[in-house]
Amino acid sequence: MLGEIIGLLFILSGVTFCALGVLGIMRLPDVYSRIHASGKVAILGIFGLLAGTAILLPEATLKLLGLGVFILLTSPVASHAIAAAAYRSGVPLKQATRDDLAERNRAIAAEE
Amino acid sequence: MSTLAANLVQIAVIVMIFLLMPCAWRAFKGPSPADRLQALDTITMLLIGIIVLLAVVQGSSFVIDVALALSAFSFVATLAIARYLAEGRLF
Repeated sequence: MLGEIIGLLFILSGVTFCALGVLGIMRLPDVYSRIHASGKVAILGIFGLLAGTAILLPEATLKLLGLGVFILLTSPVASHAIAAAAYRSGVPLKQATRDDLAERNRAIAAEE
Repeated sequence: MSTLAANLVQIAVIVMIFLLMPCAWRAFKGPSPADRLQALDTITMLLIGIIVLLAVVQGSSFVIDVALALSAFSFVATLAIARYLAEGRLF
């Protein structure tokens, strides 16, 4: 009985982090902050669910571990690729106080 | 798994399905294509969560392979679309 309660608590935390991430996706002003919010869903939300499932379904822990490691490796790379694609395809930064990449690109362009 | 725990996990699945709606709205409304790509990435991540919860509801560990395959495909697809967005070419 105790194991189920702990598993359900993990699932509850996973679902709440997913909800917070999705709320961030709806409310945040521009693409880059939304990518930051989607990182919450990918890592905190899914890992809470995986931990809860590992407790509730003990025979699947090895598969869940594999899935968790795979998501841990691929999700940051995917988020970075989206942010780089957004910047290169010219999505404006809202409320940006500094844009270091633009200055660096201008410096490179000036050298050529 | 007592019936109470099974019911609670089913409620969690239903909540996760309701979480898909804002992402679909963001995918529809998103001003730039990068928004849509990011919303799709989140939708597939939520689907992975739903599949893992369904594995708990059914009590069979076979379903988790589906989530593993989906995460592999969504990673490759996200990278391909991001590359197409950034450089206009795919290969």
